Amino acid sequence: MRGATHAKWAAGAAAVALVATACGGGAGSGGADGILSSSWGDPQNPIEPANTNEVQGGKVLDMIFRGLKRYDPKTGEAKDMVAERIETTDSRNFTITLKPGWTFSNGEPVTAKSFTDAWNYGAHVGNKQANAPFFSDIVGYDDVHPASGNPRAKTMRGLVVKNDRTFTVALKDTFSSWPETLGYQAFVPLPRVFFTDHDAWLNKPIGNGPYTVESYAKGSGMKLRRWDGYKGDDKAKNGGVDLTVYTDNNTAYTDLMAGNLDLVDDVPAQQLKNVRNDLGDRYVNQPALIIQTLVFPMYRPEWSKPGMEKVRRGLSMAINRKEITQQIFQRTRTPTKDWTSPALGRDGGYEDMCGDACAYNPAQAKKLIQEGGGLPGGKLTLTSNVDTGSHRAWMDAVCNSVNNALGRGAVCTVNPVGTFADFRNQQTAFRLTGPFRSGWQADYPLIQNFLEPLYYTGGSSNYGKFSDKRFDALVDKANRETDRAAAVKDFQAAERILAAQMPAIPLWYQNGSAGWSDRLSDVTLNQFSVPVYDQIKVS
Amino acid sequence: MPEALEATTKDATAPESVPAAPPAEKDARARSLWSDAWHDLRRNPLFLVSAVLIVVLLAMAVAPWLFTSADPRHADLAKHYLQKPNWSHFFAEDWFGYDIQGRSIYARVIYGARASIAVAVGVTALVTILGTLVGMLAGYFGGLLDTILSRITDVFFGVPFILGAMVVLTSFEERKLWVVILSLAFLGWTQIARVARGSVITIKQADYVVAAKALGASTSRILLRHILPNAMAPVIVVATIALGGYISAEATLSFLGIGLAEPTVSWGVDISSGQEQLRNAAFVLIIPSVMVSITVLAFIMLGDAVRNALDPKLR
Repeated sequence: MRGATHAKWAAGAAAVALVATACGGGAGSGGADGILSSSWGDPQNPIEPANTNEVQGGKVLDMIFRGLKRYDPKTGEAKDMVAERIETTDSRNFTITLKPGWTFSNGEPVTAKSFTDAWNYGAHVGNKQANAPFFSDIVGYDDVHPASGNPRAKTMRGLVVKNDRTFTVALKDTFSSWPETLGYQAFVPLPRVFFTDHDAWLNKPIGNGPYTVESYAKGSGMKLRRWDGYKGDDKAKNGGVDLTVYTDNNTAYTDLMAGNLDLVDDVPAQQLKNVRNDLGDRYVNQPALIIQTLVFPMYRPEWSKPGMEKVRRGLSMAINRKEITQQIFQRTRTPTKDWTSPALGRDGGYEDMCGDACAYNPAQAKKLIQEGGGLPGGKLTLTSNVDTGSHRAWMDAVCNSVNNALGRGAVCTVNPVGTFADFRNQQTAFRLTGPFRSGWQADYPLIQNFLEPLYYTGGSSNYGKFSDKRFDALVDKANRETDRAAAVKDFQAAERILAAQMPAIPLWYQNGSAGWSDRLSDVTLNQFSVPVYDQIKVS
Repeated sequence: MPEALEATTKDATAPESVPAAPPAEKDARARSLWSDAWHDLRRNPLFLVSAVLIVVLLAMAVAPWLFTSADPRHADLAKHYLQKPNWSHFFAEDWFGYDIQGRSIYARVIYGARASIAVAVGVTALVTILGTLVGMLAGYFGGLLDTILSRITDVFFGVPFILGAMVVLTSFEERKLWVVILSLAFLGWTQIARVARGSVITIKQADYVVAAKALGASTSRILLRHILPNAMAPVIVVATIALGGYISAEATLSFLGIGLAEPTVSWGVDISSGQEQLRNAAFVLIIPSVMVSITVLAFIMLGDAVRNALDPKLR
C-alpha cells in the first residue's frame, strides 16, 4: 500500500433474483420506517472489513461501519467521522483522538483498542486478509507480515494505545496524505466479538454504522435495518435496506419495472434506450471514478516475454472504443485516454497518456501484433463475469472488433463467467490465461489510487502481476513528495510506463447509473457510484 | 468442423433412407413391412411436407453458402446495430435485420442450422447405435446380462434429461459440438434401449429365429441377419421422434449458456442473446426461435408419418 488505497472492484451492480423476496421493499410502511429493496451481487468473501476489496461487499461495509474518516458522498472529501482529531507534526507520527460516546450496535464502546486490534488483525499474515497491504506503512508491519517465513510478532510496534480514546501511529516514512486514506473500510474498528466468536460475527456482522444486519443468506440476500442507537449525524432516513442478489442485471431491471424492487444500481445496457421512458426522473447517470480495463496475465510468460508489449499495444488499437461505447452502451461510457479517470480533473492528473495506442487503427494493430510475434497460440480469450455491467455484450463487441481488425476469422472468443464471485476467485488465484476484465472503482479522487494498487509490484489488486522497477521507483518518489502537484507529475511519469508497456488495455470510463421506484426519493450516488443508502427516503 | 460436417451429411440421410433401403432387401414376399411403409409414406402429405423442409434444412447445414453470401460472424456495429429487418429484400443480408453486434440475422439463422442439425443427427445416431446394442444384448441373452443392463438403463432413465445434461456439460471447460453431442447421447439412449429390448424379446421367439437356431446358425448371424432388421422398426420410430427433441434440447442448453457457445453459430445461442433485446428489437429473438420451431416441427411430423407407416395397427 504504500499509499493508500482503497479500492474496490467495480462490479457494476447486480442482477437475477434468486428470489424476489421483499416485494416492493418490505412491509409497505412508508415514512421514516419504510424499507427499500435494492439489487446486489454476492460478495466474494465473508464480510470481514480487511478482506473485502470488491464493491458488493464494500456496499455493506459502508452501511454497517464508520471509520475514523468518511468520504463525503457529494464531494469525496475525507471528513472526520469517529475521529475527533488526527494530529501530527512530522507527517510520520500521528496521534488519533476519538469522539466520545460511539458504540457498536451490541452496546460495546468504540475505543482506541477497537481500532488497533482490528488493524493488527488485518495486517497479520496468518489471517490472510486481502487488504493487509493497506497497513504496510505502519512501523512493525514487516514483523507481522513478512514477505516470507513466519511472523515475528503478533502486533505492530507502530500502534500504541494511550487511553480509551487515544492511540498513536508511527509510519515507516513520511506520508502526508495518510489521514485521508483512513476513510477506507479496511481501517474500521471491530468489536470484541469479532475475535472471540468469529463465526457468529461472520453470520451476522456487528458494526458501528447506521444500519445493523438483521439476516444474511449467502447467495440470496441480506436484510439491513436502521440502528436507532447510531451515534453519527448521518442517521438512516429509512427503516432499512433489503439487498437481493441478482445474477443478471436484466432481471433486476425487469423486477424494478414490475414493482418488485425499489432500486437498481446497474442499469443494463440493453435497457438504456428505454430507461428515460420507463423511469423519467427516477434515473441518474453521472460520471464516476470508474475505469474498465482489460488486464493481461503478466504472470504468464507467453504474455509477458519481450516483444509482447507490441502485441498488447496492437490489441489496444484493434478495439473500436468509440463505436462500442456509442452503440452498446448508448454513450453511458466514454472511451479512455489514460489509466485514471476524467473525474480527477487535469490538476488531479487526468491527461491523454494513451495517445495513439487507444485510437482505433486496425492496420497498425495488425502490423504491431505481427511484429511482436503474434497472439500466443494464435488465439485470444477474454474473461469476465457476465452477471453485471452488461459485460457479455461489450466482450462480444471487443472480440468482433479484434477479429475484424485482424481479418483472420474468429481468433478472439469470450469466456463468460456466471458470477462475479466466481470470476473474482479465478482472478485472485491467478488462474486466468488470457486478458480479463478489471473494473476499478476508486475510493477517493487521487491519481495514486488508480495506479499503485493495480500496477505496483505486489500491489493489493495487481491481479496481472505486472512488475516494473522504474514504475515502482516513480510511485515511491511520488508518495514521498509533500507538494501535491509534484506528486501528480511523478505519478504521470509512472503512467507513461504503462502507456509503453500496456499491461492493461484501458477501455472506457464508466458512469454510475441507477434507477428507482416511485416509492423512493433523495436517491443519489456517491463518487464511487454506490447509492447513498442512508439518505434515501421511502414513502 | 469438417468431420462434424461429414458426420452430419452421412447421418442426416440415414433416418430418411432407412425406410427406403430395406425394400431392396431380397425378401421373398411381394410386400415386406418396409416396402409397405414406403408405399404408405409416399402418399402421406405430412411426410411430403416434412421431407421437403428437412431436405432444405439439411442443405442449409451442409452448404450454407448456397443460401447467403454474408458472413454470419462479420459484425459491423457502427452501421448495423439492431437494424430492422427489410422484409422485401428476399435472401439478402439484411432480410431479417441485424443483431446487437451488427451481424446479419439471416446469415446467422442459415449457418445456425448446421449446429442444431449436427447435434440432433449426431445424438440420434449415437443413441440409436448404443440403445439398440444394449437393448438387443439384454433382450436376446436375457438372464443375468439382461438384469445388469436393464438396471443400468433404469439408472440412466431416472436422471432428468435436461438436468443431467446441465450437470454433465458444466463440467466441461470448453463446450464444442462433439461435447454437446456426447453429453446428450450419454443420457438419451435409455428409451431406445428399452424399446429395442422389448422388440428383440418378441422376435427371438419367432419361428424363423428358432429355425435358424435349429439349422445351427451362429449367434452373431442370428442377431445381425434375423433379429436386428426385424427389431428396428420401433427403434426408428422412437429415434425419429426424439430427433426433434434433441434440437430443442440443444437450443435450451445453449439458451441457458451451457450448450454450444460462441463462436459456434447456433440458434440457441442467438435466442439467448436475443431475449435481452425483446423490448427494443423483438425480431432478434423471434427469427431464430421460429427456425427452431419449424425444424422441430418438421422432424416430429416426419416421426409421426414414419410411425403411422410402420405400425398399421395405429390407424
